[in-house]
Amino acid sequence: MSRINDVGGMAGFPAIVEEPDEPRFHEDWEAHVFALNGALIKRGIYNLDEFRDAQERLPVAQFLGSSYYERWFAAITTLLAEKGVATPEELAP
Amino acid sequence: MTAFAPGDRVRTRTVDPVGHTRLPRYARGAWGTVVQVAGSHPLADDRARGLEVQPQPVYHVRFTAADLFGTGDHTVTVELWHDHLEVPA
Amino acid sequence: MSDDHGSSPISARVRHVEALLESRGLLSDGEIDTRIDEFAAGGTPANGARVVARAWVDPGFRDRLLADANAALPEVGLSMAGGLQEQRLKVVANGPDEHHVLVCTLCSCYPIALLGPSPSWYKSEAYRSRVVRDPRSVLAEFGVALPAATRIAVWDASAESRYMVLPRRPEGTADLDEDGLAALVTRKGLIGTALV
Repeated sequence: MSRINDVGGMAGFPAIVEEPDEPRFHEDWEAHVFALNGALIKRGIYNLDEFRDAQERLPVAQFLGSSYYERWFAAITTLLAEKGVATPEELAP
Repeated sequence: MTAFAPGDRVRTRTVDPVGHTRLPRYARGAWGTVVQVAGSHPLADDRARGLEVQPQPVYHVRFTAADLFGTGDHTVTVELWHDHLEVPA
Repeated sequence: MSDDHGSSPISARVRHVEALLESRGLLSDGEIDTRIDEFAAGGTPANGARVVARAWVDPGFRDRLLADANAALPEVGLSMAGGLQEQRLKVVANGPDEHHVLVCTLCSCYPIALLGPSPSWYKSEAYRSRVVRDPRSVLAEFGVALPAATRIAVWDASAESRYMVLPRRPEGTADLDEDGLAALVTRKGLIGTALV
């Protein structure tokens, strides 16, 4: 079944907006999420395709309501729980 | 498995998989032309399920917009694994 | 930079997960900072621009680049091996009759080694959904007005390859050296949403 990431040819998204002088990351935590994901893949906790899969199967409303790196972080915590690294309770502050 | 070669006409599968796939919805069940063989990799659809699988050929397949969308004069080239393509009878 | 995650709820959650993983030995001390620093020191569009400028002045390099980009990149001191694994690169050359434009409709795949981090618009559903279906109007919004006879080729980075556009060398640049030419090339030119 098609997932919310599979948007090629789909109508209804807003206009394309360019951000002048866009920084690499808008918030410091985004850089940490980026680095965290690379570290976990390198360690073999999960692979890149599992990471993409975990984003794609987020609830649609959550997916569309989240920023790029919020999706990443949701996928990371989903996988850490599913792989038995930590429980959802432990992952929540 | 007989690999496809540049110039071959191929049709993508119409399958609508439950999980992760690299065959975009807009390119399913469409006829295109192989323009290049782009190495050999384990199918990402399987890797996403945690499966250890053997590499298979990956192709750049060019579609006309008319074949994908029924309109347009451009082309779209999609990179697809062998398993995303129908096997000729 | 890493001591200041900010004060938003998500920054606290990220900090918490990082600390948890460190306590379980799944992250080593300073590993995240090192990765962030390496990323900051890594790819920029200046890399892609250097490749383009060399291709403009050296037809032999241009031929080698279009035939096998991974093999040609070391000639300008670059490679695609810096990420999680070496990625296949395909360079597609704009010509008088054909214009190329890149997208990743399923995700946000992008040649970070040559272009640096991707801009938000490239990752947006707005761009990804429309450019495969109606590239001419998307390009027009970016200010790229192509003659009706110019064929448009869209490349969807759906699998393992990454792509880069080789723009056409602008007229009136015969006097420029390689560095001067490289300075003309923009990130959007390397994606195909600008002419150069």
